[in-house]
Formats: sequence, C-alpha cells, structure tokens
Amino acid sequence: MARRLIIVGAGVTGLMTAKFLVDRGFSDILVIDRKYPGSGGSFRCATGVRASFTSREHIKVMLRAVDLWPKLSKELGIKYSRDGYLWLLTRDRDVEFFREAVKFQNSLGVPTRLVTPEEVRELAPTINTSSVVAAVYDPIAGKASCFDSVTNTLTHLLARGVEVKWGVEARKIAREGRGFVVETNIGSLRADSVLVAAGDGSRRLLETLGVDLPIRNLPKHALVTEAFRPVFKPLIIDWATSSYIVQLFNGNFYIGADIPEVYDTVAKVKLEFLRKAARVWTSYFPWLREVYVLRYWTGYYDMTPDHHPVIGPVEGLEGVYVAAGFSGHGFMMSPAVGEALASYILGERPLVPEFERLSPGRFARGELIKEIAVFG
Amino acid sequence: MRGYRIEEHPILKFRRGRVVKFRFNGVEVEGYEGESVLASLYALGYRVFSYSKTGRPRGAFCMIGKCSSCLARVNGVPNTRICIEPVRDGLVVETQSGLPEIPSETHGDVSEEEIEADAVVVGSGPAGLQAALTLAGHGLKVVLVEEHFKLGGQLVKQTHRFFGDTAYYGGVRGFRIGELLAEKVRASSNIKVLTSTRVYGFFAEGYLGAATVTGEPRHYLIKSKYTIVATGASERLALFENNDLPGVMGAGGAQTLMNEYGIRPGDRAVVVGSGNVGLIVAYQLLQAGVDVKAILELRDEIGGWFVHAAKIRRHGVPIKTRRTLLRVEGHDRVEKAVSVAVDGGYNPIPGTEEAYDVDLVLLAVGLQPSYALLGQMGAVVKHVPELGGLVPVRTWSMETSIPGVYVAGDLSGVEEATAAFLEGELAARSILEKEGLADGGRAEVLHYLWNVYRMSPVLERARRGKLSVTLSEGEMEELRRGAG
Repeated sequence: MARRLIIVGAGVTGLMTAKFLVDRGFSDILVIDRKYPGSGGSFRCATGVRASFTSREHIKVMLRAVDLWPKLSKELGIKYSRDGYLWLLTRDRDVEFFREAVKFQNSLGVPTRLVTPEEVRELAPTINTSSVVAAVYDPIAGKASCFDSVTNTLTHLLARGVEVKWGVEARKIAREGRGFVVETNIGSLRADSVLVAAGDGSRRLLETLGVDLPIRNLPKHALVTEAFRPVFKPLIIDWATSSYIVQLFNGNFYIGADIPEVYDTVAKVKLEFLRKAARVWTSYFPWLREVYVLRYWTGYYDMTPDHHPVIGPVEGLEGVYVAAGFSGHGFMMSPAVGEALASYILGERPLVPEFERLSPGRFARGELIKEIAVFG
Repeated sequence: MRGYRIEEHPILKFRRGRVVKFRFNGVEVEGYEGESVLASLYALGYRVFSYSKTGRPRGAFCMIGKCSSCLARVNGVPNTRICIEPVRDGLVVETQSGLPEIPSETHGDVSEEEIEADAVVVGSGPAGLQAALTLAGHGLKVVLVEEHFKLGGQLVKQTHRFFGDTAYYGGVRGFRIGELLAEKVRASSNIKVLTSTRVYGFFAEGYLGAATVTGEPRHYLIKSKYTIVATGASERLALFENNDLPGVMGAGGAQTLMNEYGIRPGDRAVVVGSGNVGLIVAYQLLQAGVDVKAILELRDEIGGWFVHAAKIRRHGVPIKTRRTLLRVEGHDRVEKAVSVAVDGGYNPIPGTEEAYDVDLVLLAVGLQPSYALLGQMGAVVKHVPELGGLVPVRTWSMETSIPGVYVAGDLSGVEEATAAFLEGELAARSILEKEGLADGGRAEVLHYLWNVYRMSPVLERARRGKLSVTLSEGEMEELRRGAG
C-alpha cells in the first residue's frame, strides 16, 4: 500500500511541512526518523531567529518566518520571543562592512541599526565592552524553544492522523511505477511522493536516486551552562571570533564557537572548543568564570557552496522534494520552509517567490547565491 | 537550636577538628574543620538548603556530591554542592530560591597543569584505591582523581566488619579499610593524588580534562596510556507524595552524617527497603541513638542477608513486607510518614494506611551506576536491571569497548565492596600483564572473583548480571568493529 507522502527526517523542517499540509487537508503522511524527532540539528541548534542576512533570498524567506513564528507560538504553544540579536564589532573594518549590511537590510524592511558600546551595555547588562567599537542590533530577531517546536508540532500531527515512526533509517530511494519505494531497516515503504529533509544524511540519500547535491557536513560545537535568572535578552555574536552566546528560556547559557574543522569528518568533542568558548565569553562576561558547563555536544552544519538551502521539487524527478543544506539556519527558517514545501507538494507556487531561487537545479545552472555572513 | 552531635557511640570515636566560624543566611554559626558545610549546618538543626523554582524546600539527600538537592550560594558563587564543600573560617553560605542570580564574585586565575602518567584512576572508593595501589606497587606512575575532599569513597562510612577472605579485608570494619588504603596511597611515591577534583571529560586531543570543584581553581590535562574508571554509583529516589521534602534522604546520606561526621540524622526514622543497605543502615541508626519505627519492604520477602535482618529484629524493629511508603507530610521537613499495604501487583490497598511520627525517611531502594564519564568517553553501555541500570560492556579483564579504558567497582554493576576490591585488583593486574609486569596474580584474582566469591548463593543475581555484559576478547573486537 502506497502512502501519499513519506517525509524522511522528523526534524523541525519535516514536521513543519507535515503541519502545513495536514492543516490544508492533505492526509496520509508518514514521517520517519533514523533516531527520534528532533535528534539531528533541531535539538542541537542555538534556537535563534533573525531576518538580518546579507542576501535578498535569505531576508525575504526569513521575513516570512519572522511573521510565522509568533502565529505558530500562539497556535502550538511554542515559546518564542523577539529578544533581538546583537553583533559585537571590535574592528573598524567590520563597522564599515556592517554599515553597508544595515543599509541593505533596512532597504528590504529589516530594522537593524548600529549601536554604541553604551547601548550595548543597556541591551546586555553585565557585559564588559572594553574591546567593543560598535555593535549592530536587530530588534525583530529573537529565539524560539527548539523542544517546543518539535514536540508541540509532533503532538499536533499525531492528533491529526499523521504517522511518525522513530528508529527507521532510510537507506535507499528508488522509483517504482509512478511512485517511489524507500528502503529502510524495517523494510520497503512506498509513497507517491517523498520529501528528503534528513539534515546531514540528505546528500547520501539523494545520491541513491541519482541526484547529486553539493552539500558537505561541517562539524560544529555547542555547550550549555548552568541555568540562572534572566541576565540579558539578545543572542550576542562576537563577529571577530565567530562565536555567540544566548540565554535560553530555561535560563541556561548556550555558547557556540567556530574552531578549525574539516568537511565530512566525524564530529568529536575537543578541548579547543571549550577553551575558545571560555576565552571569548569570560572576557565579555567575567562572572562566567564561576559557571559550570553542563553539557557539550557536536552536530553538523549541512553546508552548500553558496551557504543557502536547497528547497523544492527535484527537477526531472517528479514527486521528489528536498529541504536540505541549510548551512546553519534550518531551525529559524522552518515555518517558512514548511509553508513553501506544502505549497509545492499541493502543486502551487510558494508564497514567497524568492524560494524559487533556492531550487536544487541552481547548482547545475550556475545560479549560486552569495552571502557574506554565516553564523549562529 | 538543639544540637545533633553524637557524643556516645558503641563503635566510633569522633575526633573533631578545630572550631571554625562561618555565616549561614546572615547568622554566624560554628562547625569543625574536616566537615562539609552541610554536615556542620545539619548538626545545628538546619534542614533546608535551597528552594525549587516552585518554592518547594530542598534538603540533604545523597551527601556525596552526586545529586543537586543542596545547591547553595557560597562566597557569592551559586550552585555550590555544600555536601562536598569543606567548611572553613569566614565562608558566607546562603540558601538559593529557584533559579540563582549569576555569580557576584570571581575567585583568582585558573592555573593549569599537564600531567603524563602510565595510568589514571578516576574515583577513590574500594575499586579505585585497590587499583591504584596495585599499579603503583609494580612501578607504574598513577594519577588518582577524587571528587570529594577525602579519599575512600563510601568506605569511610561503613562501620560493619567486612565478610569474606582476609586477603580482601574480611573481619575489618569498612572505614578502617578506607583509612588504611588511603594512608598507603598517600605514602606511595608513584601515586599523584588529586582530591576535590572532577574529571569532566575525555577529548579528541587525547586528554582527560579535570578541574578542582572547590578551593584554588586548578585545571589539569591528563594524558595516560591506561584509564580505570571507578566512579561508583548514586542512590535512587522512590516515588511517593512529597518525596522531595527535607528529611527524605538516601540511606548512604544518613550514613555519611552519622558514621563519618558523628551527626544524628534525625530522632525517629522509617527505612524504605530491606536489602542489605536498608538493614545495615537501620542498625547503624540505632547505634547513633535514632528510634527506628519500621523497615518497609515492597516485596514478599526481606531482600538482605539473614544475619543482618536477625540483628535488626533482636532490637525490636519490625520489618514490614508488602508495604510501601504512600506519602510524607510536613511543612519544611518531614513530620509524618504514611505507609500502605500492597497487593500482588504492588498496587496500594486502600484502608491499610499506617502513620509514623518521624522526622527522617531513609531510602534504601538501590543504587544506579554513575556511568556519565564512561558514556561521554563513548564506551558501549547496556541496561542490566540486576546491576542497577546502565553499565559498560567489558572483557574478563575489565576493559571496556574503548581500548585501554577499564572499569571497576559499582560502576561496572552494583555489588558489595569486596567485589569492588576484586575488580580494581583485576583491572590493575590486567594492565600489568599487558605491560609485561605481571607476576601471575591476574589468573588467581579472576578465579577467586568468579569461582569462589561470586559463587555464594546470595550473589547469584549480580553474578548473572555481570555475566551478561562480560565478553571474550574476540567478542569485544567484534563489538568495537561494529561500534566504529
């Protein structure tokens, strides 16, 4: 028996897509995950949400997501708050670059602005700004609970008859008649259509269909500290060291920091990361020296050459859709991506036309999108 | 405020240190050097050390730094486990309420030391001490890391004479064994001892990271050819109404108070669980002058050994089978405990409630192995109910799925201290054999452990559990290939 749709990957992207589909009356969906819902990037990410990017595509897509997050928050009870983003700039040349970026963002409706170290101290109490030249503040950026996003959406789906199977690993997808067969550890599953939203496993799975996408997995590192009463609201990025800190809803501080890594290698926990995270953030927040790290984990950014995701139907393979290569921004985009994929699957064009620029075929056509800033 | 210091004890003499003065919630209080902050406060009658996010009071539970019940603010640093924080002059201790404010003070620069050793032993209970001494005795350079400010693990609070072979300390009281081994360790020039130090993880650069948990901030990077992880186990909580009320304590927590520090954990007590730990702790409560109202046992039969149960019964303490705790009551500490009879499916039978006026409820409902470090390192673990939970898969030599990383003691599956000595010895001798330093001891230890010690009918369950996670070298190789 063939289902109408199999979604490979029960991360926030796959689940949001299923949500927008069932809400529009599309039924007979099976979602599978090799581990458990949220177990990939969704539960590992920093949970930041922003539209302050440096490409038209990212900004347009994210403005839609920034519109959708509060609606989903209300509908599904997902904790979400427009607490802002703050980029700390410590070099004059960075200020020049961001001056241009802010102008570009403002022209597309994102109200970012340059702020002084004094304003930084107001936005982030207890911060030591001795090295800060200026900063950029994005007041419509924010954060959402990744746990609520997955579990509340899952509850919504299960109540509406969507089937979700855990511990089911898709190993191969092949065409069979007018539909597809997904080979898994629990046998063959059949469907009219397939959506691959499998994070760092997406490229290998699509290869079994003969679709070659230039996605490479870059190991990433993150930690959380003990939980405290609210100290500061925005997600704060130290631009020069490519690292960031955010106080999560439950009070823990989440820190990410880039260290040299090699694409497509197994992510391992490294002292180098802990050292960098501690060095950067204890100098901004000296009290962090007395705070314990509770957990440190790794994950992957599924990176594309232009750092933009691959979203939409696979050209020449009717019935196969992809949502992958998010390059570190999958969580924040998921509501807009889910909405757009639902449109595609229902045979419509996406509401935000910029989605069509993110199609899988752009690499073969050489229509890459360029963005200078990738972080968070 | 009335004192809870034990002045007379049939077995123990408490040598208390110098009087130190510190502040608790603004009040000047006194303790004795060598005690934990929590022990000093408990002796004075304090029972509440923090409040949960919803305002529920939290008291002492494990007393060995494994739970998070006693997190308080010490010298401006929140979330300090005061059960393993040594008391000292001038400390400022404050209870926390809900999520704490961020630290208000920072203390000194962190100094860093890189240490190279032949072997690192994590944990200084019976397994760790025995392993470290055996390795050091054959000339290996050993680093012994202990989270507590004292060596000895849970030996320090065992007042009973151990059973079994005199080669493994039969006939000697547990705390004496701990003192003896700790002295030997301190005297060995081949062992570097790091107390109040927590091993927080293993990293791709090839180091174990360790850091002090109190006092001068120090960071250690330890590189060694072999690692023996002997981090022990922690106490389980039981499910009943108000199980977080101060006065509900792990049996081991009470042992720490009365046997290590000479502090009466309460006046009137109920013990939940009639395994050996429950029976022994009930007897020790009597020795400490506590009125033990009853021991409750969920099952049909007493779990522990006959010899312990008989001693308890001679003192008039009823052991009530097929009964469990329904709830405890009280404002900010236990004032009453209510038990209930259970049916064949362990469901409470309404109308069978019995109330006890007690200020102490001790839980002796089992231990769970402290596998966090081995899990972080990537060892393959398996859930074995007979052994208390998740335990690492190991070879007959106690080597885990990570080559060079060994396990010993309760972490390998909860048993008695004698098994911990034996496993520590076995792990150490296996390493010596690999290093070509063996003097034939390994085979004897292996034989004694499996064919003599564990053949006792009372150890049948543990033996079966351990067999289920012990692999041949060939099977382990296969597992490693699969896991890789």
